[in-house]
Amino acid sequence: MIVFEGAAVSVDGPVRQRQILEPVTLTLAERRIAVIGANGSGKSTLLKLINGLITPTAGRVVVEGLNTVNAGRAVRQRVGFVFTDPLSQLVMPTGREDVELSLRARVRRPADRRAAAISVLERFGLAPLADQSIYDLSGGERQLMALATVLAVNPDILVADEPTTLLDLRNERRVRSLFRTLDQQVVFTTHDLEFATDSDRVLVIDSGRLVFDGDPQQAIARYRSLHLDPDKLPGGDHR
Amino acid sequence: MRGHASLLGTYVEGTSPLHRLPLWLKGLTVLVLSTSVLLVNTPVLTAGALTVTAAGYLVGARLKPIHLWRPLAPVWPMLVILGGYQVIVNGPEPALQLVGNITVCLLAARLLTLTTEGQLLLDGLVALAVPFRRLGADPERFGLTLALMTRSLPYLVGSVADVRDAARARGLERSPRALVIPVVIGAVAYAHQTGEALAARGLGEPREPGPPSAS
Repeated sequence: MIVFEGAAVSVDGPVRQRQILEPVTLTLAERRIAVIGANGSGKSTLLKLINGLITPTAGRVVVEGLNTVNAGRAVRQRVGFVFTDPLSQLVMPTGREDVELSLRARVRRPADRRAAAISVLERFGLAPLADQSIYDLSGGERQLMALATVLAVNPDILVADEPTTLLDLRNERRVRSLFRTLDQQVVFTTHDLEFATDSDRVLVIDSGRLVFDGDPQQAIARYRSLHLDPDKLPGGDHR
Repeated sequence: MRGHASLLGTYVEGTSPLHRLPLWLKGLTVLVLSTSVLLVNTPVLTAGALTVTAAGYLVGARLKPIHLWRPLAPVWPMLVILGGYQVIVNGPEPALQLVGNITVCLLAARLLTLTTEGQLLLDGLVALAVPFRRLGADPERFGLTLALMTRSLPYLVGSVADVRDAARARGLERSPRALVIPVVIGAVAYAHQTGEALAARGLGEPREPGPPSAS
């Protein structure tokens, strides 16, 4: 379970503090939670608060009973994070070696680690790509590989920041269907409103504020009303 | 993003004698070969080291001849410039020697990574740092740092190629600013993203004091 208690993020601006995320108070217990909003609205900030990549400047975030500020390491052991660009996430030259890197702290013997890594890749249908250079993989394959490296350590929660943004339709479907099969609680941001409907609950963020929280269809309608309002569109009627 | 994985090379699976050789012996051979050509610096030794290294590729590791060219492909313009400068300043023999010595070092280092699995390499680097633990060093972080370095160099070479292409497309190929600034900004952004990704995976983090709590 993820609990935000008045969690807010602000940064020093040239003149005064700039609020990136207004105070958010909510409890996330559903299995699939989507976060939607415009670019720069604060979606990624909200996600990074969950595994302590960003710490709140006010309030607190508690994940599985652990405060992200004073138990960041323990939180990150429970929360896996997938970035939009898998190339910034995959550290080793091949997918198998990257999965082995994830397993280093848990499996000490190299032979056991290798076997465990291959088993993980088989689980995600990636075994044939295990020893290919990450640079030779397609965008979709890289994203699936990045997911495998994170899921290799069986986190309780998976957080994914726009995991399908760089993918073509086929690979987007692959990632979406993988998400449906996961046992973990999944929190993800997306610009794909159809993907958002796969979730049990949708949060809408606008200009750093949580403006809607609830049913996916209602959330999407709210999001559309925010951004497709003719008065707000360029060239619209600004009375 | 173009990935120049070939500069240091990714592991090529195999059962050749070099693949089976212990990592410490391969590392020591690379060290001895590279330092001797640089320190002794004679044409005979350079030619001998080049021959031994090439034999290592083709016979010792049973690799295809193309593997000999791959690490040189991204750096040959630099070797030509260096060699040309040396020809003008010191004559052809020192020029050939310098280019030969750099080639030996590059090929020998690459042969090590081509015939050693990344994780074994990482284990070796970690083992290398274990004696420094009593001085406060963290061997896992040391190994990870070096592994990141070997991964980052090809990425940065690829970044330079991408930026050069972008500058050419805009007709700015003669502007050093159009090349240098995006590469530097890209390198900083890459370092930031990699650091964030490592932190997100809990890799290389120091242990936290005290038990975790929700307070």
